[in-house]
Amino acid sequence: MKKILLTAIAIIITTICMAQVKFNFAILNTQPPAQLSEWGNRREVLTLIVTGQPGVPGGGQYKIKTEIKTTDGTVVASADLAKTPVFTLNSTGTPTILLANDVMPLEFMVFTGKYQTSLQRTGKLPAGNYIICARPVNIIDYTPLGEEQCKTFYLASTQLPILMKPYNEEVMDAKKAQTAIIFRWSPVVPTQPSPVTYRIQVFEVLPTQSPVQALRSNQPLLDKEVLAATQFIWQPQLTFLPYDDETKKLPTFIWTIQSLDASHNPVTRTDGNGEGRSEPLIFFVNPDKNKRPKKQD
Amino acid sequence: MMRKKIITSSFFLCMFVATSFAQETDSLLNKAKDKVKEKLQISGTMGITYEGYGLSRSPSGWTGYQPRRPWNQVRFNFTPTFKFSKNFSLPFNFNFAAIPTNFAGPYAGIKKPSFGQFITNPMNSFGLNPKYKWAELQLGTQYLKYSELSTGDIGVFGVGVDLRPKTFLFKFFTGVSQQGINYVVGPPTVTGAYKRRNWMAQIGTEKEGKYLFALNFAKGKDVPTSAAPPPLTIRPQEGIVISLVSDLYLEKGFYFKAEGAQSTFTKDLATPLSPNLKSLKPFIEAHTSTITDFAAQAAIGKKGKNLDLGVMVKYLGAGFQTIGYPFLQSDRLDYLLNTRINTWKNKMNIVASLGQRVNNVNNTALKAKQFIGNLNWFTQFSESFSLNINYNNFGFQTASGLNPFGIKNVSNDLGINPTFTFTGKKIIHLISISYNYSKYDERDVMTGLTTSNNTHTGLLTYVPTYLEKEISPDFSILYFYNNVPGAKITLATFSAALSMQAAKKKMRLRGQLQYTLGKLNSFSSNNNLIASCNIDFKLTKKLTWVTFLTTNYFKYGNEITPNGANYVETGCRTGFQYRFDTKKQK
Repeated sequence: MKKILLTAIAIIITTICMAQVKFNFAILNTQPPAQLSEWGNRREVLTLIVTGQPGVPGGGQYKIKTEIKTTDGTVVASADLAKTPVFTLNSTGTPTILLANDVMPLEFMVFTGKYQTSLQRTGKLPAGNYIICARPVNIIDYTPLGEEQCKTFYLASTQLPILMKPYNEEVMDAKKAQTAIIFRWSPVVPTQPSPVTYRIQVFEVLPTQSPVQALRSNQPLLDKEVLAATQFIWQPQLTFLPYDDETKKLPTFIWTIQSLDASHNPVTRTDGNGEGRSEPLIFFVNPDKNKRPKKQD
Repeated sequence: MMRKKIITSSFFLCMFVATSFAQETDSLLNKAKDKVKEKLQISGTMGITYEGYGLSRSPSGWTGYQPRRPWNQVRFNFTPTFKFSKNFSLPFNFNFAAIPTNFAGPYAGIKKPSFGQFITNPMNSFGLNPKYKWAELQLGTQYLKYSELSTGDIGVFGVGVDLRPKTFLFKFFTGVSQQGINYVVGPPTVTGAYKRRNWMAQIGTEKEGKYLFALNFAKGKDVPTSAAPPPLTIRPQEGIVISLVSDLYLEKGFYFKAEGAQSTFTKDLATPLSPNLKSLKPFIEAHTSTITDFAAQAAIGKKGKNLDLGVMVKYLGAGFQTIGYPFLQSDRLDYLLNTRINTWKNKMNIVASLGQRVNNVNNTALKAKQFIGNLNWFTQFSESFSLNINYNNFGFQTASGLNPFGIKNVSNDLGINPTFTFTGKKIIHLISISYNYSKYDERDVMTGLTTSNNTHTGLLTYVPTYLEKEISPDFSILYFYNNVPGAKITLATFSAALSMQAAKKKMRLRGQLQYTLGKLNSFSSNNNLIASCNIDFKLTKKLTWVTFLTTNYFKYGNEITPNGANYVETGCRTGFQYRFDTKKQK
C-alpha cells in the first residue's frame, strides 16, 4: 500500500513538473527561407508559444535547448546553453510568444562539420529535410522542464529565373521588333508552394546612361505581371530609330524579371539585390538592318 | 497643370537661352580662339531636350493600359572636354533631368527629392575629371569599373583619384551610391532605402595592350539609421570584396585573363554579432548573417583578323556577393567556347558560341543545368545574293526534387534570311526575306507532360535606292504566328518609311507608317496604327535641332472587356544639341 502511494505521488509530481513549461510550435513554415539569418525577422516562419504554471523550479525561469537534426537523427546544430538567453514564464499565466531569434539564436548555435562550412560560406544548410526540436530546460543544470517539441521542414535555396530570350546583347531587327518581341525565362527553382508572379520590366537605356543606371531610374516601357508562365509576347508599339544620325547609336534596352510570391513580396529577400530581381540582360534594336550594326558600350 | 506650364515655359526659355548661348558661345569661342590661338581645344556636346507624352484612353474610366513614360521631362547634357594643353584636360559629364524618377531603383516612388537626393539620384550624373599628365582627379558621379568581380555597375557620387605614373596604377574613390529614404505606406508606397557609402581602391601595374596586374578592393556599407521608418523588406547591408586581376596580351593575338575574388557580405546589419563566423577586421565584423565565399574567372584565346577563338570559365560561389554588382546571380559555374571565322575572301562570316551553365553548384538547392548554343552564319555568295542563318538554343533542366518531375525548358530558334540585290541604271532594288521558327518546350513538373510553344515569323522587305534622287523609301510586310495550347496569336504588319534631305541638305526627314492587324484565338481582330516622324535640322555647323514625333493608336477586339477599348499614345521629343569642336577651326 505504501509503495503504491509513493509511486502515485511520484507520478503526480513528475506530471506536474513536466507540465509546468509547455512548448507548442504554432507556425513553422514547412519550406522556410534557406538563409537561416532570415528566420529571425519573420513571424510567419517560426513562432513558439510557451505556456506554464506557477511553481516551476527556478522561479519560472528557463532556457531553450534547441537542436537541428537531419531525418536520420544526426545532430546538425545545437544551442550552446551556457550562452543562450534566459526566459521567464509570464506570472499571469498568459502564453509567451517566441520567434526564431529566441528559439534558434544563430550566434549561440554550434553547427557541426560540413554544416558549419556551408553556413559560413552561403548562410544556408545543404538542401534537404531537417527536424528542429526545442525543449525547456532548467537554467542551472539544464534538466528538462517540459517535453521536447519537434517539427520537420524542408530547406532549398530559391533560385531566381535566368533570362533566356532575348539573349544578352542580342541585336534585333527593328522590323520584327516593332511587331513583337518574345521574352523567355526559366522558372523559380524549386517549384514554390503557390504560383509565382513574374513581373517583366523593360527599360530604355538612353545614350547618356549605363544599362543599370537606366534600370534604377527610368520608367519602364513594359511593366507586366505574368502568373506562372515563363514566356511573354510583347507588342512594343514603338518606332525604333537611331538616337542621332552622327553616332548611329542603336536603341538599347535592359530587361529583367522580378519574382513575387502569393503575397506579392519578392520570393527572396536577402539573396542578391533583395528585390527578387534576376540578373538583367540588354538587347539592341537595329533600325536599319541593311547597314552593318554598330554596337555601342 | 501648373507644373506642366512651368516645365513647358522653362523648356522654351531654356531653348531660347540655349540658342542664344550657342550663338554667344560661337562668338566668344571665336574671340577666345584668336587670343589663345591653338592652346585651348574644346570637344564634346551640350544640349537640352524636352520630352512630352500623352495618353488618351477610351471608354472613359478604363485603365487597362497604363502610361509608360513621364508626362513631361526636360533633360540637360553638358559634356565638353576642355584641353588646355597637351598635358592638362578637363572633361565634364553633366547629364541630368528636371524631374528625376525612380522605378526600380532605391528611391522608387519618391516625389520631392532633397538636393542631396537629387544629385545622387541614379538618373543624374554630375561628374568632373580634371587630368594632368598621369594624374586624374575624379569628382562627382562616377561609374567606375575596376574588374568583373569587384565593382562596375554602380554609380557613386564622391571624390577619388586615378594615378598612373609610368606603369604603376593607383585608384581610390569614396562616396555615396544612394541616399537614405524613409519608408512611406502611401499610396503611393515609397519602398525606402538606406544610405549607402562606398569605398574602392585598385593598386597594380599596367601597360596598355600588354598586361595588367592589380589588386582590387571594394566596400559598401549601409547606414541603418538613415531611414526612419526603415524600409520594410530591404535590410541594411555591408559587403567587402578583394580581388586579384591579371590580363596578359601576347604576340599573334593570344591573350589570357584571370581574376580571383573573395567576398565577405553581411546580409542584415541588424542581426547580432557572431563569434562563430569569420570576420575580416578591421574592414568588416561578422554578424550571424555574414557569409564569406569565393569567385573566379579565366579566359584564354586568340584574336586575329580572320579567326577568333576563346574559352571562358566563370565560377561564382553561392555566398559570393558584391555591392558593385547588385544584380549578380551567384552559385553558378559557366563554361563558354566562342569563335569567329572570316573566310572565302571575307565573304563568309561565322560567329558561334557553345557553353553550359550549372547553377546551385554548392548543392544548397536543386542543381540546374543549362545548355547554351548560338550560331550566326553569313555568306555573300555574289554581288546580288547573300544568306544569313542563325540558330540559338537555350535549355534549362533541374532534378525533380519534391515533385514527380524536374523542370525542363528548352528554347530553340532558327532564322534564315536571304537578301537579293538588283542594280539598275537609276535604282538599286534590295529584297530581303526572313523566316524565323521559334520553339519553346516546357515540362509540367506534376504530370511530366511537355507543352510546345511554336512561333513562326515571316518578313519581306523591299528597299529601293534611287541613285539620282535624295529620297530613300522602304516597305515591309511581316507575319507572326504563335501557337500554344489554348492560345493562338496572329499578327500581320505593313510598314512603309521614307527618308529624305531638304533645305539644301540642312534638314533630314524620316517618316514611318506602320499598321498591325492582330488576332487572339477566335476573338475579333485588334488594330494598331503607328506614325512617326524625325526631323534633324542643322541650324549652324555646330547647332542641330532634333525633333521626333510619334503617335500610336491601338484598338482592341472583343478579347478584353470593355469590347472595343482603345487608346492613343502621343510622344514628342525635341531639343537642341551644340557640338563643341575647336580642332577643325585651326
